[in-house]
Amino acid sequence: MIELSQLTKVYGEDVVAVDQLSLAVGQGEVYGLLGPNGAGKTTTLRMILGLLQPTSGEATILGCRVSTDPLRMKQLIGLVSASAGLYQWLTPRELLQYFAIGFGLSLEQAFQRTRELAEVMELERFLDRRCATLSTGQAQRVNLARALVHDPPVVLLDEPTRGLDVVGAKIVFDYVQLLRQSNKAIIVCTHQLEEAERFCDRFGLLYRGKLRYEGTLAELRASTGQPSLVDIFLKLLRDDGSGNGSSNIDSAKEAVLAQ
Amino acid sequence: MNDTHTNINTATDSKTSVQATDSRQTAVPFSFAQQWEFTLKELRETLRDRRTIVTLMAMPLLLYPMLGLGLRFLAFQESSDQKVEYRLAIGSETEGAWLSEALQLGNSLLAASSEAKEQQPAPDVQLLVPNDPSEFDLEALVKNSAADVGVRVQLNGASVGNQFPATARVQLLQSRDSVRSRDAADYVQQRLAAANIDWIRQTSELNGKPFRLPVEQIRVLLEPAETGSAVLGLLPLILLLMTVTGGVYPAIDLTAGERERNTLETLMALPVPRFRLLVAKFVAVVAVTMLTGLMNLLAMSITLYALQLDKTLLGGDGFTLGLGCKLFLALSAFALFYSAVLLLLTSSARSFKEAQAYLIPLLLLSIAPGLVILMPGWNLASGTAALPLVNMLLLSRELLEGTVTLLPAMVAIVSTVLYGVAALAMAAQVFGNDAAAIGSRGGWKDLLQRPKELSQQPSITAALVGLAILFPAYFVTSGVLSRGDAQPSGRLGLSAAMTIALFVGLPWLLLRWQRIDVLAGLGLKKTSWHYYVAAGMLGIATWPWIFELVVLAQSIGIRGIDLSQIENVESLLAGWREVPLWLIVVCLGVVPGVCEECFFRGYLFNGLKQHLNATWTIVVAAVAFGLFHVVLAGGAAPERLLPSTLMGLLLGWMAYRSGSIVPSIVLHAIHNSTLLLVVQSRDLLAEWNIGQVEQVHLPWLWLAVSAGVLGVGLMITRLAIKPAPFSTKEPETI
Ligand SMILES: Nc1ncnc2c1ncn2[C@@H]1O[C@H](COP(=O)(O)OP(=O)(O)O)[C@@H](O)[C@H]1O
Ligand SMILES: [Mg+2]
Repeated sequence: MIELSQLTKVYGEDVVAVDQLSLAVGQGEVYGLLGPNGAGKTTTLRMILGLLQPTSGEATILGCRVSTDPLRMKQLIGLVSASAGLYQWLTPRELLQYFAIGFGLSLEQAFQRTRELAEVMELERFLDRRCATLSTGQAQRVNLARALVHDPPVVLLDEPTRGLDVVGAKIVFDYVQLLRQSNKAIIVCTHQLEEAERFCDRFGLLYRGKLRYEGTLAELRASTGQPSLVDIFLKLLRDDGSGNGSSNIDSAKEAVLAQ
Repeated sequence: MNDTHTNINTATDSKTSVQATDSRQTAVPFSFAQQWEFTLKELRETLRDRRTIVTLMAMPLLLYPMLGLGLRFLAFQESSDQKVEYRLAIGSETEGAWLSEALQLGNSLLAASSEAKEQQPAPDVQLLVPNDPSEFDLEALVKNSAADVGVRVQLNGASVGNQFPATARVQLLQSRDSVRSRDAADYVQQRLAAANIDWIRQTSELNGKPFRLPVEQIRVLLEPAETGSAVLGLLPLILLLMTVTGGVYPAIDLTAGERERNTLETLMALPVPRFRLLVAKFVAVVAVTMLTGLMNLLAMSITLYALQLDKTLLGGDGFTLGLGCKLFLALSAFALFYSAVLLLLTSSARSFKEAQAYLIPLLLLSIAPGLVILMPGWNLASGTAALPLVNMLLLSRELLEGTVTLLPAMVAIVSTVLYGVAALAMAAQVFGNDAAAIGSRGGWKDLLQRPKELSQQPSITAALVGLAILFPAYFVTSGVLSRGDAQPSGRLGLSAAMTIALFVGLPWLLLRWQRIDVLAGLGLKKTSWHYYVAAGMLGIATWPWIFELVVLAQSIGIRGIDLSQIENVESLLAGWREVPLWLIVVCLGVVPGVCEECFFRGYLFNGLKQHLNATWTIVVAAVAFGLFHVVLAGGAAPERLLPSTLMGLLLGWMAYRSGSIVPSIVLHAIHNSTLLLVVQSRDLLAEWNIGQVEQVHLPWLWLAVSAGVLGVGLMITRLAIKPAPFSTKEPETI
């Protein structure tokens, strides 16, 4: 359903954030786009969404191309971002309705959708409180619900568990399960490798803008001979380091292990 | 999360499910309901914030009463029709009795004489008489301003009486630097002098000699021309500055605030052109600004009224409802303009701090012209009416003074609104552009960057910026041209040159800058011959109707040019008699026809249609066209607004149908020329006793024939095959 072909982003003159990235994600599949900080994950998602113009390459969802039809593209995507804030002076109900109508739902549809999502995401208790007064966990649930107001076929999650406790992470986990059951195509970007192992079907290992390995956990184990994603990543850094000088290994190792 | 297997797809009906998505062809189309929801959110975000309410409500309520007291002090210092009171200190009861009798006598003598009585209200006189004369120090009283004047009277045993001239020595003690003290001394002196003269007259008449004063004096009080004063310049400055303070916080909050609180990314993920989101923010900022303006206006007028300052300051009827409405109109135009500028500045800011840093220079810049207009001698004229900010300050001051004239007022308002629209269009380019969304480079230097790729058509921003430059430039140059006293033919040539430079030169420059093919950008294309035929017919047949509309408008009292200016026009026409007819037709008919089409149906039209559908493109271009035609060299001509706008609709429709501006050029040029020929031959008509064309309706036969031709022309335009489809596609992103 989601197809990226040769997607490339160069910031300024020479910062290659994403380099010739190609991948495909099918319906009901959870794809883990993994990599240390600065690997180019956020940049990739923003290009798919049409918030950033790719330097070259194309992203396609259900035949809709981001380069020619960015507005329709946005309609097909729900975005969950760890850094996303809420409007402080609105209530969750108003916020959900705002986004629902923004995505083109009618007023009645927006009301109904808000009610349903409030039930599914258990927002009823604080649906009419100001967003500024919500706890981190409550705000996160509102954010997760917001991404689904228009019931998109594709959901992109950027570091969904960042800054959350165990309960918060569990909610995200359940949320991804729910999306999978609803047959959505999902990309989860994270640097939390162990967590990713638990809820992704397939993985792409992104390092310095390049996709280095791709496949299911079994496939990756077979091709690299390493037992876990962390080990696979460390091997990747070692390989990379042997070509580029050893100082890179340590810094990159730090990046991986600093979770 | 619920443990039950909730399937979130089936929750809503299939409209939004995956399958339906494929058939969704376009992104969310524009709808008012959606736009209202966007606006509502911005309003909630601002109005629920206490800071907004404080600037909105509390500030004016605190500021104006305080200001009012200060103003009252100033106004009393200046005012001349307030009742004054002189305090005269006098040494003893007897002296006091003598003085008051003498003053009374002087008063009645003065009142009876030719010196005009009603001009100045009689001052109250208060005599300060000591209880204990021994402790009474006249000099100290005057020095300490406890009394205005001290009076010492030495009576030579005489009482005041008409028959018995008495001798008395009167000494006046006056404080050197006080105006009031001098006036009081003058007051006493004048009355005693009158009494003296009367005594002399009576003595003389008693002796049987008729008495005549060798010199007779009359004093006439005149109203000063500048009724205003520094205070009247100060009020608009305070009013406008206070108004914009209302918009500052919401503007920062709704733009830089989105970035600061990390809500911008999800906002940008909406499948809606950014322009619409920005317009919602704009509406919210304008609403708050206008509310602030209204609050300030109310607080100001109530203060003026309560302190009884309005009549003193404004003269005439004081602060009327009509004046309030006009001021509010000016404030609203200003609010539109300033809100757009605020959004332009804050849209590129990454944080509150940065936004505030951008706004400080703006606020300082706003105060500077305010101080300039405090100086007398500045008024709304051809130079100042198009200057942003200065024009609104002057307009509000002239509204308060009651000295506004229509043309500069209209130009001030229209150009201010146009600047606002242009600033808003630029803000839409800056707001949330891709670099900005991710929180780094980008911002408003992008605006000044020339596009790298070739494009076919001007952007809507470029079109609106062009309009915002052209309108004031047109007003200023036509004002300058009307002043010079060149020969009629020279003047015609100049006006033609100006028309070319403005309406073709400016779009040409802008198109080159955007790297757009000039012919394509102006819409100069070949089209089917049917349109030329239709344009010719319409060109010949529309003028009687435009003419009738002007006459109709004038007959219901919409008329800008007053009689003195009509004389001007007459002399102008008389001057033209020496000019060959072809030159007039070329300079006033053909050249404007060609050039105005290049701009209104070419550059502006092509830019507008990037974002608007056909109808709105035609309407907006036509209204702009109509507004330009209200500006005449001699003054405003509001009666031309409707006819010119209708003409603009016709021309726009022709350009839309034919996909080219050449037919509209033909139509416009022929229309102008025929109208000129008719006006030129009006003397001839008058000789034939058809009467003054301007005041009489055209003969029915003419109207009938022209209606017929008009109908056929319209039919051809409607039925001819359209060469190229009119592009109404939504732009991808702004
Ligand atoms: N706006 C920008 N301008 C320049 N460089 C950027 C910008 N945004 C990100 N980068 C660089 O691009 C690379 C990828 O960043 P990002 O996609 O945010 O990584 P990730 O999300 O995987 O942590 C980083 O090296 C980052 O410094
Ligand atoms: Mg990231």
